[in-house]
Amino acid sequence: MEIPYNVELREDTGLYNSKLGIWLFLASEIMLFGGLFSAYILLRTGAPVWPPIGEHGSIIHLLKDTIPHATFNTVILILSSVTMVMAWVSLKQKDLNKYKLYLGTTIVCAIIFLVVKYFEYSHKIHEGFVPAHDTYMALYFTLTGLHGLHIIGGIIVLAYLWGPGISMWNSEPERFTNRIEVAGLYWHFVDLVWIFLFPILYLLN
Amino acid sequence: MSNKDIAHHITHYRNVFVYLLIGTAVTVAASYLEFNVKDSIAGAVFVGLTIATIKGYLVAANFMHLNSEKKMIYWILMLTIFFLVLLLSIPLLWDLNNLAYN
Amino acid sequence: MSDSHHEESFWRKYIFSTDHKIIGLQYGITALIFLFFGFSLMMVMRWQLAYPDTAVPIVGGLVKWLADLNGFASDGNLPADLYNVFGAMHGTIMIFLGVVPIIVGAFGNYLVPLQIGAPDMAFPKLNMASYWVYFVGGVIMLISFFLPGGAANSGWTSYPPLSDIATTGQTYWLIGMVFLITSSLLGSMNIIVTIVQLRAEGMTWMRLPFFVWSQLVTSFLLVLAFPPLEAAGIFQLMDRVFGTSFFLPSGLVIGGEALKVSGGGSPLLWQHLFWFLAHPEVYVLILPGMGILAEVIANNTRKPIWGYKSLVYSATFLGFMSFLVWAHHMFLTGMGQGMSVFFQTTTMIISVPSVIILTCFMLSLWGGSIRFTTPMLFALGWMPMFGIGGLTGLPLGLSTPDIHLHDTYYVIGHFHYVVAPGTIFAIFAGIYYWFPKMTGKMLNETLGKIHFYFSFIFMNGIFWPMLIQGLAGVSRRLSDGGASYAHAQEFLHWNVVMSYSAWLLAIAQIPFIYNLIKTLLADKDSNPDPNPWNATTVEWTDTTSPPLGHGNFEKAPVVHRGPYEYSVPGESTDFTPQTQN
Repeated sequence: MEIPYNVELREDTGLYNSKLGIWLFLASEIMLFGGLFSAYILLRTGAPVWPPIGEHGSIIHLLKDTIPHATFNTVILILSSVTMVMAWVSLKQKDLNKYKLYLGTTIVCAIIFLVVKYFEYSHKIHEGFVPAHDTYMALYFTLTGLHGLHIIGGIIVLAYLWGPGISMWNSEPERFTNRIEVAGLYWHFVDLVWIFLFPILYLLN
Repeated sequence: MSNKDIAHHITHYRNVFVYLLIGTAVTVAASYLEFNVKDSIAGAVFVGLTIATIKGYLVAANFMHLNSEKKMIYWILMLTIFFLVLLLSIPLLWDLNNLAYN
Repeated sequence: MSDSHHEESFWRKYIFSTDHKIIGLQYGITALIFLFFGFSLMMVMRWQLAYPDTAVPIVGGLVKWLADLNGFASDGNLPADLYNVFGAMHGTIMIFLGVVPIIVGAFGNYLVPLQIGAPDMAFPKLNMASYWVYFVGGVIMLISFFLPGGAANSGWTSYPPLSDIATTGQTYWLIGMVFLITSSLLGSMNIIVTIVQLRAEGMTWMRLPFFVWSQLVTSFLLVLAFPPLEAAGIFQLMDRVFGTSFFLPSGLVIGGEALKVSGGGSPLLWQHLFWFLAHPEVYVLILPGMGILAEVIANNTRKPIWGYKSLVYSATFLGFMSFLVWAHHMFLTGMGQGMSVFFQTTTMIISVPSVIILTCFMLSLWGGSIRFTTPMLFALGWMPMFGIGGLTGLPLGLSTPDIHLHDTYYVIGHFHYVVAPGTIFAIFAGIYYWFPKMTGKMLNETLGKIHFYFSFIFMNGIFWPMLIQGLAGVSRRLSDGGASYAHAQEFLHWNVVMSYSAWLLAIAQIPFIYNLIKTLLADKDSNPDPNPWNATTVEWTDTTSPPLGHGNFEKAPVVHRGPYEYSVPGESTDFTPQTQN
């Protein structure tokens, strides 16, 4: 027997299986980042000065210098969210080439994001602002680092769906379209987290 | 989804994209303004988080199709948000902690 | 007979299977091995507690070998450092590698699709991945025993600052936990989607066996409660590997020297994040067991379970409330009155649904035609044990008596009553009950009864004295069992009683292990009875024993009635299957 409701919607819930699955996964991710943000609030409100002053002084000046980079990254990620949803729309329109173009753009945006991140990290580390320097740096690296790992994971999945995984379009196009929708939900969530990380880490100091 | 529906969706996504860009610009600009009330940065935090929430809502409602999602998903999210708020209120509990020693 | 399926290789069929039944068995076997291992650790600890600093008999050589490997001095005795390792790992292994994988991974995976009439879980490949991630997590935990400094030794609760500066084993513990949490998340998502989306036609929410409800609530707890611990684990890994100070306060002095870290962190942050998971975790431990017992009790009293709706609402309310009580583990951290009043109130409230569930089970016995089969004996034995566990929790949940009882043996006695006779009796009931479904053979009843009676006696022999010692103020986690404390002297003899009870409990498992092996090796009937217990639920009535591979059912079941229609007036038999018109 085949497993039902991979494509067709179950009547009483109106959902297909992987959509429910991904939202449950996102619920757990909300709690994960919630735990991280909760720690941020706690450590920040308990600190006499924020960002704290450590061996190399305060990160605040270096941080202000990187606001343009982080803003650029925010825009890039939002763009990637748009191209992601457009990739799904392209499949709904049965246009495989447009799908590849939009999904490819999404992946490229994600890589650009990581490259900018790399430069941000190395600049800070070079100046001695490593995670051990103070609790702000610890939070900065941990929160953006974990977010970055989610981006890498997303790139791997999207690359698969752009490349070898695309063969499902020929055999089960609707199921494949659902996969893109579900991958998109994950991707938008990653964007959403960054939308909160950006002001909290870079702007509110 | 009919072609007309799809065209409508595409215009919509483009509009949301523009709103998000505006929101980003506002957030950054606002961070340079002084919202400080009595030496506390509560004002700046409030403004920053409000704009972030609006942007987040735009992404969730439009790109993630939450505007037209099924009840079951709403229930799961409501439950999650409830516990998220609980989790975020742990630092608040610390304050209640200290109040006891007045 | 035409075979439309290609012949699967041994690896695809038994090792990397995507069939929920095989995966369930994989979880079950692995988890039982871990349970045995965790139990063995405790048996060695109990020698040290009964006869401190004397060489452990039989395995003394092994203990010395391990101690040497870890860099601890030993001449066959269990040194304090290794005692701490065993203690931390006993808790970790029993909870995360033993009980949860067996009740959710084994029972949940195996039975949920069958009971709801589905061909498999919603995501079979994800299911396979969950098992292997669990396996890897377990291997990492086991490897850590062989490191210099030994495995984790800061308690299963891993409180910083101690855990932050502990030996390498703690880092392995954290990495292992990341794997285990991932496995758990993937598995619980699978269960929820399966229950919501794959119920057979006619299987409405209120016709679900209570076992399925218990798995649903448990899975929600796992999805929502585990991630904050994962966050905390990441923070602790950052502290240990990258030198951050998430949990290290400023001005920390260790061994006379100020610690060279940035400071500014908070040890209480760990406690909050840890207990945010760990309290719902205890309901994860007990709820599926309650689910198993509902099935066993209804079947062996030949009448519907009393208060089905109450059970469902109580389980759901319990799951929800479990998120609101966590700081009752932290009453002694210096919290103010506001917090302690809030948490003791929610804790008192949460005892209500547990009592309702226990009461429903007890009331189910009234007027029943009780069959004293082995599963039923475990179910009956469970009731007073869980009662004691629950009642002893009350003074702990109230902040004032907790001042006296926190971190004493009373706590250990309380929680072991709920998890040892609590979850383990439910697990045994489930194994004896569903063994014929999984294998087509019945376990021997006489051996089962011996297993039950001696387990019941010795469980009490171990855990009741803990309550006595705890009330007297004997602290937990003391490697000499309290011998160096004046206030404990009068109660030290209980250590010997408890230790012998533990060793005799181990011996009492021999009939069970022998029963399993003997029955598994015995020849199967050519046509085994698919429903030897005359049960009503779909897994018994609509498929063979063991169930058909690749889809479980010849044709999709259609459900017409509730799950516990036993002794329906006017029917010719005393059980009416769910799928009967």
